[in-house]
Amino acid sequence: MPLWSWLFRRKQEERDLEDELRFHLESETQLRLDRGETPESARQKARQEFGNLTFVQEEARSMWGWGFVERIGQDLRFAARTLRKNPGFAAVAVLVLALGIGATTAIFSVVDSVLLKPLRFAQPDKLVMVWERRFDSNHNNVVQTQNYLDWRARNRSFEAIAAMIGMPANLAGSGDPIQVPGLRVSARFFQILGVSPILGRGFRPDEDRLDAPCVAVMSHGLWQRRFGGHEDVIGQRIDLSGGPKPSPCELVGVMPAGFSFPGLPADLYLALRIDPGTAPGDGRNYRTVARLRPGVSLAQAQQEMSAIAIGTAQERPRMNSGWSAQVVPLLEQTVGDTRTILLVLLGAVAFVLLIACANVANLMLMRASSRRREMTLRVALGAGRRRLLQQMIVESLLVSIAGGLLGFLMALWGVPAILRFLPSGFPLPRMQEIAVDRSVLGFTLLISIGCGLVFGIFPALQVNRVRMTGDLSQGGRGGSAANRGLRNLLVIAEVAVAVLLVVGAGLMLRSFLLLNQVSTGISPERIITFRMMLATPLDDHFRENRAARISQMLDRIRALPQVANAAATQFLPFSGSQAGSDYNRTDRPAPAPGSGTGGDVSVVSDDYFRTMGIPVLAGREFESRDRRGAPPVAVINQAAARMLYPTENPIGHRLKVFWDGDPAVEIVGVVADTHHDGLEYPAQPCLFLAQAQSPTSFVSLVVRTRDDAASAVAAVRQQMQQVAPNQGIEKVESMESVIASSVARPRLEVTLMAIFGALALTLACVGIYAVISYSVQQRTRELGIRLALGAAPASILRMILREGMLLAVSGIAAGLLASLALTRYLATLLYTVKPSDPAVYVTVTLILAMAAIAGCCAPAFRATRVDPAITLREE
Amino acid sequence: MSDKERIELLQGTLDMLILRTLQWGPQHGHGIGLAIRNSSDDVLQVEHGSLYPALQRLRAQGLVDAEWKITENKQRARYYRLTTKGKKMLAAEESRWNRMVAAIARVMRPV
Repeated sequence: MPLWSWLFRRKQEERDLEDELRFHLESETQLRLDRGETPESARQKARQEFGNLTFVQEEARSMWGWGFVERIGQDLRFAARTLRKNPGFAAVAVLVLALGIGATTAIFSVVDSVLLKPLRFAQPDKLVMVWERRFDSNHNNVVQTQNYLDWRARNRSFEAIAAMIGMPANLAGSGDPIQVPGLRVSARFFQILGVSPILGRGFRPDEDRLDAPCVAVMSHGLWQRRFGGHEDVIGQRIDLSGGPKPSPCELVGVMPAGFSFPGLPADLYLALRIDPGTAPGDGRNYRTVARLRPGVSLAQAQQEMSAIAIGTAQERPRMNSGWSAQVVPLLEQTVGDTRTILLVLLGAVAFVLLIACANVANLMLMRASSRRREMTLRVALGAGRRRLLQQMIVESLLVSIAGGLLGFLMALWGVPAILRFLPSGFPLPRMQEIAVDRSVLGFTLLISIGCGLVFGIFPALQVNRVRMTGDLSQGGRGGSAANRGLRNLLVIAEVAVAVLLVVGAGLMLRSFLLLNQVSTGISPERIITFRMMLATPLDDHFRENRAARISQMLDRIRALPQVANAAATQFLPFSGSQAGSDYNRTDRPAPAPGSGTGGDVSVVSDDYFRTMGIPVLAGREFESRDRRGAPPVAVINQAAARMLYPTENPIGHRLKVFWDGDPAVEIVGVVADTHHDGLEYPAQPCLFLAQAQSPTSFVSLVVRTRDDAASAVAAVRQQMQQVAPNQGIEKVESMESVIASSVARPRLEVTLMAIFGALALTLACVGIYAVISYSVQQRTRELGIRLALGAAPASILRMILREGMLLAVSGIAAGLLASLALTRYLATLLYTVKPSDPAVYVTVTLILAMAAIAGCCAPAFRATRVDPAITLREE
Repeated sequence: MSDKERIELLQGTLDMLILRTLQWGPQHGHGIGLAIRNSSDDVLQVEHGSLYPALQRLRAQGLVDAEWKITENKQRARYYRLTTKGKKMLAAEESRWNRMVAAIARVMRPV
């Protein structure tokens, strides 16, 4: 129905009803006149018999079924008017809600982008990663080369499977040599993900053959930064060799902005060439990604891969005994362990929101008591209860949606600001996808409405208690006691939830502080690290060349006046990478395949332990005489010594190492344990090999300077360029910063929890303050009389404080119980701290008690300053 | 007649009484009220006002039709008339009512 005809009919019905009711009253009056009543009494009686005229009209109108929309409109206008009349209340309520909803929205936007949204690939739910896994472990390991080839040849579950390995790429030629994160992938990689380049092409199916010419696909970012976003880069040749013999590689494509494989950010994609001839002898190196065939379930794929793994274990027991295959959905793999912390944060922020709601509900209730007269009057004038209820709810919704919109704006501005503040390598998956977008707005509106209903329901319930008698005659004063119980209950709940949050934050803070006290085992002061991949093609087998290049660089760097010590290692501690292998005592019978001893393997140069400040406990560290051709030597850490030689002196013993030509190495030293994977992980057994005897292509130089570290960077770079002019450096970073980055995420987590705890504490404090203030205000007369009768101000102070503390203590007790029940969900996030850590609970109790006293103090002092003369005259 | 002898109507009964009254032909609101009072010897107490929401409800449900006519006293009044649907509803309500009265009677005055 068009609007105008709707309006017309609406008006017509309205007139009809009025006419009809007038006719009724006239007829009734006439009837009574005919019976001989006086005109006055006849009219009066007719009205009396009729009942409440306004109410009848309202009721009759409501039967037309259009009234709903109209009433909402009226209610909205009325609510807006009421709020404008009381701007202080409106501002506080909206602001408190905006804080709660804003924080919730911000965290939800992260949860939504990281956990809920599908990955940005075609049909992402069909994508899986396949790993190797030891039967006795739950750690997903990278895949051995021949196993990958066998999986690819034998499986029927996947449309395709691709191998990949992250490897920095050295870009020389135009401009300074740089090293960018790279990814070598099988030719079908882009096809499996279902993403095409925006410019040029991806890899052709045969471009990962050994004899295919080198082609490269680059990221949107690199294209913009290094090539100015020009379209004519396609077909250009770049030099990736870094060596004296350039090996040109053709640029064939540019990927769209934002494209990256989860956990393997890369600027340059090269084809991964696998030599089937050498594949069986390789170590475990590759990650894999595969796309399930239509109709094949995850369970079916897992079943098939397990069966294939049994086959490969039988065929090559030395490599595969004890290993199986594990299929993991890509989203699950990507999200990893972030799920727990994100859900904990979402829960925490939801509790903050609940406290905010309770606060606003309390404000509403106080206002409801002072509006009791208005309500009673409106009931007397014919307003139905349902109508009043609706009015209250509309008012709450207006406040909550205003708060929600303001909160959304806060999140819209705040989330990108926080993300910008985080370091680029911050370990949060899908970080670049986080956005406060339309689905987040939908969520915000939903919780806003939810909040409005939650805190609107309390004052609305009070409508049912409106009684005609009494309220009008009492002058609107009497109602205060009616909802006092409810208000007190809300404050107790607020305090309880605040305790829960502060306990959670306290536990995480204590855990974080303990974690930071853990000794790394190294002394990182004034150490600068230079991370790089030695710029030679992957198939470079001139090991002497590699070893010589590193020792030449080190010699030149050590000669610098700013430098105290310098050394090299394959992977820096705390950088997230480590190599590992089996190593067994040669004086014991060779263990059955898959049952040997082993652990981490670090390949380090001479003088490494002195440079890093790692104490040598027995024997010696690597020296320049441990070069290729000399007897192969090794150093082990304490954990390895305990594992291999629990009762003997390891020096002089020999180990068979499953590494790089399987040398039998002689142990020449034992060093103190260091943490490599992170402070929260205990030190692993580690075997150190000499860089000069087993050179690697990944190298980090560690340089300890004499005083100012920053000024030495340029000098060190210069010396490296002297040795290898085209060598780029992937990353220059102080060792202290490397360690700090490894705890960057726990730091952010604990910061957020602390913010939420503080917010909860403040809101609960405000809640206590408001309730006690209101109570004092309501009891002004009583207090005036008490003071007039000679009560000491101190006793009044005690009385009010007691009232507040009773609420606080009940809340704290309830909160401590709730904490004991709920904090066990934090257990996996805590380092050595138990979820029931008494120190945290005691501290939180003290903090909350002090906050509660602070909240009560102002109103309590106000109570003692009540002037009896004024208050009594007021009545 | 004192107030004590009057009985307030049960919820929902008013609709049935209105339909029943309209069985004798179209009537306006005031007339319906009078008829209910008269035929119950003034025992049934209908607050006059409550007739009108009920009438609008019945109209919305399609049980009665409304039409403006001139009364014998030359006044304009809205007359209500049973529809076919209304007649059916009345029959159903009557039989339900009779069963209920009989059942209550058996409980109150067991033979």
